[in-house]
Amino acid sequence: MSTLLEKHIVDLLKESNDKAISLLYEHYGDTLYGVAFKVVRNADLAQDVVQESFIKIWNKSHTYDPAKAKLFTWLFRITRNTAIDKIRSLGNKSDKEIQMDVSDVYNLGVEGIRPELIDMRKQLDKIEPKYQIVLEALFFEGMTQQEASEELDIPLGTIKSRLKIGLRELKKIYGAASVVLICLSHWL
Amino acid sequence: MKDKVRDFLESDLLEKYLLEHTTVEESNQVERYIAMYPEVRDTYRELEDNLETFARLYALKTPDGLKERIQQQIRNQHTGRRRFMRFAVAASIATLFFAASSFFFWNQNQNLQQENAMVTDQIRVLEADMKEQLEDVRNQFIVLNNPGTRKYVVNGNKKARELKAIAYVNPIKKLSYINVRNLPQLPEDQCYQMWAEVNGSMVNLGILKDIEDKDKLMALPYGEKALGYITIEPKGGNVAPSVQNIVANIKY
Repeated sequence: MSTLLEKHIVDLLKESNDKAISLLYEHYGDTLYGVAFKVVRNADLAQDVVQESFIKIWNKSHTYDPAKAKLFTWLFRITRNTAIDKIRSLGNKSDKEIQMDVSDVYNLGVEGIRPELIDMRKQLDKIEPKYQIVLEALFFEGMTQQEASEELDIPLGTIKSRLKIGLRELKKIYGAASVVLICLSHWL
Repeated sequence: MKDKVRDFLESDLLEKYLLEHTTVEESNQVERYIAMYPEVRDTYRELEDNLETFARLYALKTPDGLKERIQQQIRNQHTGRRRFMRFAVAASIATLFFAASSFFFWNQNQNLQQENAMVTDQIRVLEADMKEQLEDVRNQFIVLNNPGTRKYVVNGNKKARELKAIAYVNPIKKLSYINVRNLPQLPEDQCYQMWAEVNGSMVNLGILKDIEDKDKLMALPYGEKALGYITIEPKGGNVAPSVQNIVANIKY
């Protein structure tokens, strides 16, 4: 997303103008919903998480500091943390039910998937699974590097290096993804 | 590149900061480095871009109606807040009005209580005065009507020849009264004072003011073989009679 649009959204948020929510949803809604879904692994819960996150974004807009983070980083953190809190609040029993109820694949139906999102997912395949696993554990599961090391049974040093390399790998596909994003923003 | 910047970039502090896994001290350090060193800032922005890229790889089409639900909730929250603000303003005004009116009524109540206490006191004093006066009138009536009452005419001595008084004494009812009919004029700094010697002790009966009502009877303390005196005293009265200034004796 262009910095200009990001600035425009931030200005609207500061003015408590609800157009900000509409713009945020249009430009970040799919990504944040994907993040929420990746964490909670349930479509209904993911919707709740996105709804709660947007309310938090609206209510906490005065706390956003562009000098400390990009708008997306701030939105991502709120959504990720809301999703992790949601999972934790459900407790062990319901957590297990969710695990049994849904698999790790997207159960959204063919009509729910946009072509450009399929393209995005193809990009994901370019990242080696060993990096993907580490990045997902750290970004979506809310694990610390130490926890990821124990959970994945990978030495802490390897976790650190895979995080660094994994992020560099992302940089390789960044150009391609940017093209898709530009197409996406034109399409929207 | 400075060594400490290179060391910083080689550490995983930026990645940890991006993931919000840093302590407060570490966050402060990272934010300081981002602000101070452009290369750290660029690296961090790159990490943020990579995070966005990574997250976008998982994007899913949002379900229909979710956007409207979010917008509706925000509108409701907004309306709720506006309603609360309106209610808060109205409640504040009502509270102020209530406080002001409470103070007004409390103040009024205090004033009324004070007035009430004052009126009650006045009534009590009036009642006591009336009782006293009624008793006095009743006694005067008894003295004047009783056949056993003796009447003494009192004349002033050479110091006040024009002094005329009539004493009424009733030994049965043990009541004595005096009616001063005439008092000679005195200089400004002097006054007449009346005394009674009853059972060996001298009683001050008070100052005789100008005789406005010549029919007024003045009560005398009763005593067997009591003596009454009228003396000339300095203005304001004296604590003991000036024997040399006696102008009239009343034996009753």
